[in-house]
Amino acid sequence: MTDGIKIELVTPSEMLFNEYADMVIIPGSEGFFGVLPRHAATLANLQRGKIDIYNNGSITRRFFIDGGVADVLPERVIILAERAVDLDEISIQKLEAEAVNATSTETSFVNAVKEAI
Amino acid sequence: MANLKDLKTRINSVKSTQKITSAMKMVAAAKLRRAQEAAEAGRPYSIRMQQVISGLAANASKTNSPELLVGRKEVKKHLLIVISADKGLCGGFNGTIARQARSEIKRLEDEGKSVLVFMVGKKAADNLGREISKRTFDRVENVQGSNVNYNEVQSIAEKILTSFEQSQFDQVSMIYNQFVNAITQNVVVTPLIPAHVEDDVEKDTINYDYEPEENELLQSLLPRNLTTQIFSALLESSAAELAARMTAMDNATRNAGDMIDSLTLVYNRTRQANITKELIEIISGAEAL
Repeated sequence: MTDGIKIELVTPSEMLFNEYADMVIIPGSEGFFGVLPRHAATLANLQRGKIDIYNNGSITRRFFIDGGVADVLPERVIILAERAVDLDEISIQKLEAEAVNATSTETSFVNAVKEAI
Repeated sequence: MANLKDLKTRINSVKSTQKITSAMKMVAAAKLRRAQEAAEAGRPYSIRMQQVISGLAANASKTNSPELLVGRKEVKKHLLIVISADKGLCGGFNGTIARQARSEIKRLEDEGKSVLVFMVGKKAADNLGREISKRTFDRVENVQGSNVNYNEVQSIAEKILTSFEQSQFDQVSMIYNQFVNAITQNVVVTPLIPAHVEDDVEKDTINYDYEPEENELLQSLLPRNLTTQIFSALLESSAAELAARMTAMDNATRNAGDMIDSLTLVYNRTRQANITKELIEIISGAEAL
């Protein structure tokens, strides 16, 4: 899969995703943008939103981040997010359990994630 | 000569100490694995963040860059963040941090700066005691180990940032124990404000597009970087603390074992001597008849 682009999604506590893919859609602070291999080098601020990872024309993985920064180079993308969840793994119950002793920003993030699922 | 009962009590007490130290060693070892994983999992984020900042810094114009990146022109007050453990019994862990902090304070004051100290963790504060009472900026406890929490660190970082903007200090650095492996910890001093920038970035050659503008991007990234640095330092320090405790408790267990051996030897010799003495008494008593 060397013809893809390497995508890393990192949070302070773990590396959520580190694989090659065909394309990724990132929620930039000035609008969503897609990154394909050989994308121009870009540093972008990200807003809260969904990250879609595409392989063979369809979405294979979905994540939700609470803002961050993306460092895009022609051969790889690094997405740094303070909070991120894997939308295919997270369950609503688990989110609600987390929301019990959450601060207001966390609660609003949890609600946004719920909508995205 | 020590009597048998005293020796027995002594041996038993050392034995129970040994039990405690070996239990502590086990607990530390079990926790260490988790803490080590957390510290290692946190590294990519802080390393990447560092790279991004360094890349931006290399390209940023020196004149109107944010103070968080290039620092203030006149540095009078320095904030030193000292990260130690909340608990003792971990060998030289807290002692080294305290010693290092003391020499750092001295160095900064020799440069004519006044120093404020932000204590994270209970032990170094106890250790530095009166020396820092006048210099204390703030103290937090219970933010380590399984309590390391990004949100909490964020509020700490925010507090530091607001105080920086109010010019309570012009420079910030941090002392903590970096986890290397189970038997080695490194005391490191990292500058936080102005941000630490690696010199060997080849990113000057890459022409980055910025979204939004470079300075705006820096404005939002630098505070985040501060949080990240403190967060990863806490993770490192927690892992290092457990590693130090594990080694210390391992040594203590071994020393207790040695002590039990030598006490048992004395005990047995004394017992033997007593028996011999009694025998002699009986024999000489029988002969006298």
